[in-house]
Amino acid sequence: MARELDLVRGTLALLILSTLELEPRHGVAIADRIEQVTRGAFRVGAGSLFPALHRLEQEGLIAGEWTLAGGRRTRTYRLTATGRRQLAAHRRDWQRAVQAVQLVLDGG
Amino acid sequence: MSLLIRLRSVWRTLSGSRARDADLDEELRSCVEMLVERRVAAGEAPEFARRAVLRDFGGLEQVKERVREVRMGRLIDETFRDVAYALRTLRRSPMFAGAALATIALGVAANTAIFSVGYALLIQPLPFRDADRLAVIWTDQSREGYPRAPLSGPELLDLDQRAALFDGFGAIWATTAAITGTPEPEQLRVGLVSADFFTVLGAEAALGRTFQPGDEPWGASTTILLSGAVWQRRYGSDPGIVGRRIEVNGQPMTVIGVMPPGFRPMMPPDSSVPDDLEAWLPFNRRFVEGPRGQRYLRVVGRMRTGVSVADARADVARVAGEISAAHAFYGTAGRQFDLQPFQADSTRDVRTALVVLAAGVAILLLMACVNVGSVLVARAAARSREFAVKAALGAGRARLVRQHLAESLTLGALGAGLGVGLGYAGLRVLLALTPPALSRMQLASVNVPVVAMCVGTVLVWMTLLSLAPAREAFRARAAAALQGDRRSTPGRAHRRLRSALTLAQVSLSVVLMVFALLLVRTVQRVQQMHPGFAADGVLSFRLALPASRYQAQESFNAFSRSLQESLATLPGAGAAAVISHAPYDHVPNWGGPYLAAEGADRATAPQADYRAVSPGAMELLGVALLEGRFFTESDDQRSAAVAIVDERLAARTWPGQSAIGRRIGVDPNVGGAPTAWTTIVGVVRHVRHRHPVEEVRPQVYFPSRQVVRNPSVYLVKTSGEAAALAGAVRERLRALDAALPVYDVRPLSAYVDDARALREFTATLASIFAAMALLLAAVGVYGLMAYSVTERTRELAIRVALGARRHEVVRLVVSGFSMTMVAGVAAGLAMATAGAAWLRHELYGVAPWDPIAVGLTVSVLAMVATAAGLLPTRRAMRADPVVALRAE
Repeated sequence: MARELDLVRGTLALLILSTLELEPRHGVAIADRIEQVTRGAFRVGAGSLFPALHRLEQEGLIAGEWTLAGGRRTRTYRLTATGRRQLAAHRRDWQRAVQAVQLVLDGG
Repeated sequence: MSLLIRLRSVWRTLSGSRARDADLDEELRSCVEMLVERRVAAGEAPEFARRAVLRDFGGLEQVKERVREVRMGRLIDETFRDVAYALRTLRRSPMFAGAALATIALGVAANTAIFSVGYALLIQPLPFRDADRLAVIWTDQSREGYPRAPLSGPELLDLDQRAALFDGFGAIWATTAAITGTPEPEQLRVGLVSADFFTVLGAEAALGRTFQPGDEPWGASTTILLSGAVWQRRYGSDPGIVGRRIEVNGQPMTVIGVMPPGFRPMMPPDSSVPDDLEAWLPFNRRFVEGPRGQRYLRVVGRMRTGVSVADARADVARVAGEISAAHAFYGTAGRQFDLQPFQADSTRDVRTALVVLAAGVAILLLMACVNVGSVLVARAAARSREFAVKAALGAGRARLVRQHLAESLTLGALGAGLGVGLGYAGLRVLLALTPPALSRMQLASVNVPVVAMCVGTVLVWMTLLSLAPAREAFRARAAAALQGDRRSTPGRAHRRLRSALTLAQVSLSVVLMVFALLLVRTVQRVQQMHPGFAADGVLSFRLALPASRYQAQESFNAFSRSLQESLATLPGAGAAAVISHAPYDHVPNWGGPYLAAEGADRATAPQADYRAVSPGAMELLGVALLEGRFFTESDDQRSAAVAIVDERLAARTWPGQSAIGRRIGVDPNVGGAPTAWTTIVGVVRHVRHRHPVEEVRPQVYFPSRQVVRNPSVYLVKTSGEAAALAGAVRERLRALDAALPVYDVRPLSAYVDDARALREFTATLASIFAAMALLLAAVGVYGLMAYSVTERTRELAIRVALGARRHEVVRLVVSGFSMTMVAGVAAGLAMATAGAAWLRHELYGVAPWDPIAVGLTVSVLAMVATAAGLLPTRRAMRADPVVALRAE
């Protein structure tokens, strides 16, 4: 069970970082983007998204600031330099993991 | 609002998380609004949309809680890392860590020990059912010089019948009884109690039961309740003891129960009900019909639930008023009752001493923390570069503070833990050394509230003390610190801070020293004061002659006389005598009114203490005869009634005239009426036999051959050690009459020591704490000077290189430091004087601003501080200026 959670948490962090690579977004926009890009496969609920966002912020991988969006004050997040580096590293790890699992599944 | 909620709210405000919560709330709400807008734009009804969004969200509060959890986990994680880092840092400087831990541990140990005692005696509820409902009732005859007097049987009945706010009253009177039979006859300290005494008190038996209404016999007692100690000692903890018959005072009695081994009545010490009573007997049924003036009962009342002390006191006062009106016996003065809450009353003698000691150790702990704190300041100064680097790397201010605090709190927590362990051991040692007179202290034990208080205090002090330098750590100009510029100002600010801390240490140690010296001087004065008798070299023992065999006064006197003569012939013995009470005795006082003239108003007659003495007793004790003569063997039951009075009684009753030949009316049988007239044949110096310091009441002495007291105290004067005679005395008594139980064989000086025990104990402990404080202050001063000199090494080296003479440089260094010292001593004296005024009741013959105490403190502190301060200065003077400059 714990392994699943770690996988999920790690994956979510990766997804969020990735989403912010091109431009800063606020919470709802991040969730939208993830849903959009994965074509509905991943629907991130608020109960998972916001804790993940705040954890990433505390770790210094993303930075949040107050902006005006649609006439409303909301918090927008952007990737920090450290975050970018982490994203690249995570990407490499993910590729490696996927390749390894694929090898096992292929029975090779 | 519950305390927990309030605390959480404070914490959240302090940590800024409330602001963050508000932010989070705003962020979530704006997201919710966005999603709602989207749905509404897609055509849903607004409320429907909102509910759907919130449902999808999973509840706003839940999301917030999950974010908070993430934050909290972060905090805990970081805290662990900070603590680990702090431990590594400490391990790198083992000497500092060791010294700091030892300092804090010592302070905490002292606090643990003293607070354990204080808690057990003052705060812990008494081991009785609903003990806060208990009260002690006294007769208040302050006008006649007897503010806390016992009650009589009829008065107890009056209270029982007339008081409205009480569940019941119980009475007890301490006396002795002889257990005969195997293995050996023994005289036991016995409490005579009313049938409902234990019910009122709220104490239960361990085996069998306590007394109940209906147990009171019509004649002699037939039932007995044993104490746990006697059951273990005399009956081998026999589980079948209940129902057994034993012989007491020649009567067969059935054991109805055994009290638990640790049971203590916990009555006020001046009630003459000792904690170690060995058995209990019920009063007979007619005891409430005794003479109204025969006061001997110590009364405990149980207030009804919800009744306040003030109301209970008023109730009892009302009863007093009613019976004053109802009985002519009370005359015009009437009767007053006083009521005191039980626990407060039973600790009134130790309370001030304990509070003083507790304040002393609290100050000591503060000093220990200040000591460690000031060293931490120095270390923080040295590490300002490290902080600057961390700040540059992006650590938030809060994070830096937390890291800084982690070191001091880790140190504090470790030191406190060590200290509690040390304190536990220290308490055992303390209790082992406690004089038996202070036996109640044995109740002390290290428990959770005590530990929590001590550890909590340390953590609070360490937090406060490390926040100040922490602030400096941020003000540090990061750039300057990073460049390694030593001229950056944190040094000066730190020095000021350390000066302030050292000033605090010096003033606190002044306070402790003054207090300790005042207490020691008081002990000295008390010891110097002549009590009016000489107890050295006198052995005493108590003997209760069984009434069955020594019924008539003649046979009693004959036995007593022959015993005295026999004892006087013992090798090493000089003289022997008999008195009714030992000085500072724990048996109930014997006293009554005295009338100077026939027809004087009995109700307002002044009170005196009565004593019966045999011929030779006063000479043996060295009581000074001022007028007339001592008693002789011819003053016996056949001759005229005579008495000796003390100078106070004589001076007060017949000022300026001789008292010899005059007559006074007294009440030696305590019937309530001073109708026995006796002639005064001698006047002696007042003897302080109730209290080492206070002069309590004047004294009337009767010849023991005329007024028989049983049991009584036998005295044997010896030229050598009193205790050495004990064996010989027992032998001689066994030879005379083997069945006589002799007890309380001890040197007479033991009673004097018991009376002084509390005062000496307090003074000893206070002195130990003052010595520790002096040591801490010395270390603090040394540290400050060393720091200051090291800090200014470069400056001093330059001055020397430029031609300044050594003594000029020394003066430079010392002048600043002297100001600190003088200020510290002055502040300390001011605080000590203020505090000592409150200490006034503990002092005797010593003013709160006693010049010797103050002078001694100032001079000792000056010497120690000078030595501690000059040491590092000398070292600096000897340093080579070239080396110092080059070291930059």
